[in-house]
Amino acid sequence: MRHATITEATLVSDSRFASAAKARGRSLRTTPAWFSAAYFSGALVTDLAYWQVPDVLWERFSIWLVTAGLIMAGLAIIAYVIDLAGGRQIEMPALPRVTGYAFAVLLSLMNAFIHSRDGYTAVVPTGLMLSVLVVVVLLLTVWVDRTSSNRHQIGG
Amino acid sequence: MRALEETGSMKLPRLVAAAIAVAGLGLAGCDDNGGDPKMQIGANPALPAVQQYLLPPIRIAKAVSWGNGEAPTVPQGTQVHALASGFVHPRSVYVLPNGDVLVVESNGPKAPVYRPKDIITGWVQSFAGAKAKDENRITLLRDTNGDGIPELRTVFLDHLNSPFGVALVGNDLYVANTDSIVRYPYQEGQTSITAAGTKLTDLPGGPIDHHWTKSLLASGDGSKLYVGVGSNSNIGENGIEAEYERAAIWEVDRASGAHRIFASGIRNPTGLQWEPETGKLWAIANERDEIGPDLVPDYLTSVRDGGFYGWPYSYYGQHLDPRIMPQRPDLVATAIAPDYALSSHVAPLGVAMYTGNGLPYRSGAFVSEHGSWDRTPLNGYKVVFVPFNGGHPSGPAQDVVTGFLDANDHARGRPVGLAVDRSGALLIADDVGNTVWRVSAAKSGSPSKTAS
Repeated sequence: MRHATITEATLVSDSRFASAAKARGRSLRTTPAWFSAAYFSGALVTDLAYWQVPDVLWERFSIWLVTAGLIMAGLAIIAYVIDLAGGRQIEMPALPRVTGYAFAVLLSLMNAFIHSRDGYTAVVPTGLMLSVLVVVVLLLTVWVDRTSSNRHQIGG
Repeated sequence: MRALEETGSMKLPRLVAAAIAVAGLGLAGCDDNGGDPKMQIGANPALPAVQQYLLPPIRIAKAVSWGNGEAPTVPQGTQVHALASGFVHPRSVYVLPNGDVLVVESNGPKAPVYRPKDIITGWVQSFAGAKAKDENRITLLRDTNGDGIPELRTVFLDHLNSPFGVALVGNDLYVANTDSIVRYPYQEGQTSITAAGTKLTDLPGGPIDHHWTKSLLASGDGSKLYVGVGSNSNIGENGIEAEYERAAIWEVDRASGAHRIFASGIRNPTGLQWEPETGKLWAIANERDEIGPDLVPDYLTSVRDGGFYGWPYSYYGQHLDPRIMPQRPDLVATAIAPDYALSSHVAPLGVAMYTGNGLPYRSGAFVSEHGSWDRTPLNGYKVVFVPFNGGHPSGPAQDVVTGFLDANDHARGRPVGLAVDRSGALLIADDVGNTVWRVSAAKSGSPSKTAS
């Protein structure tokens, strides 16, 4: 429910700064980013499960979810770079969103290495802490992005 | 509200910079070198604190082959030459009573992929020559006149399943495949066995089969077989249930095939041998990885009936490993510290207790060190001699066969299984050089032959 609201908010903010056609293309390009966010959030859930019941199955779920998230993030980054190469200006309102997301991806990359350790310390405590941090950064990014677009709405 | 946003968006780039710095620290951590291996030889090895890595160090010796005329280096008074070469990944050697030499050509089963890391590991191992094709056969070499050049070479047994250990009791020849012990009828002088084998017992095999080699040793009276069964993981990351009856030495009743756990908590026990003076069982073990270049030292130890040696909960007695949960303080309290450390990550895979008099070594154990893959500088890649006195190690290990690494730290060969032949010469299986080396006493008058 909450995700649905956020997505809508983002699309609305996109549509304010681009033509309708462009907005549609752009929403497609942000799809991998949303997928990666979902995978990273999933890893937090399986990490919490492992913390409670240290069964290796949860640990394996986590590392595959983080890896899948990173692959999706890779696609999102490629799409973004193509956009930039295509001469699209970096819009100021997009800056917190891009920076926040990049930070979450960087943390997730670290998390993938931590999760590749053998045994309990692949998750507890560092892996679990990183998974929490990634989700916090993602939520914060969405929140900052939404409030800044509101500001633009008001200002514009 | 606006002020909050400003600080929020300002903070993010700073956090990115911090993250990069942290990641950089983690990577820098990979460069820390191991200490002097001499500090970890013997009864009381120096044990540093546990380290955990963002990227665990990997330092493999790229596999190259021996050039023409190249051979390992041996000390004064001895000479080395290839007994035979052109093998496919020879892992162990066994000498039959009539002097025939069996060479087990084998490699592990394909490892399953459970985590993204397994894909990377498989790729890295291919550079070290560990992913060679396996023939799964045993080749026989016969040197009738004892000049060190076999006149006969035949395929002795074929179509095995990742074999490693061999033991002959009377006319029963036992082969330890990775998943079972199989008995074959053998008559002295036989050069190949075509008879179908009879399974004595199953051994823990796939689907993971992390440590796949099963070493084998018969008791003096021939009633029992002792089997080294390695763990199914580095440190329990495949789940503790995958370790059922693993990381242990089995005692198998030869008549019934029934088994019991003779000793446990030994991560990868191989090189099972009887110490000749006391008649006690000794073994070597490969210890755990990824907690530092100097943890945990591999070891040579006597094995007590019912003894627990720590893995996975602790090492060298009561040193806890934080990577295993739930922990078992009850077991850790009983953990026995091994007798003799060989230093970290040397990967001992062969032992030959020496009672012969062909070589200038008396009473002790030759130990082959396959060599490290996760430590800088490299460690192992040689055969050492541990002197014994009164049934116990009595001094520092001496280098015997070296030169497996070239000047660029590439591996021309890696020593694995050891055996002593009828004349008292030392045989070494080399699974990268695909050769069996023979170290014998230098002929009197001739200088020791130490090819580069």
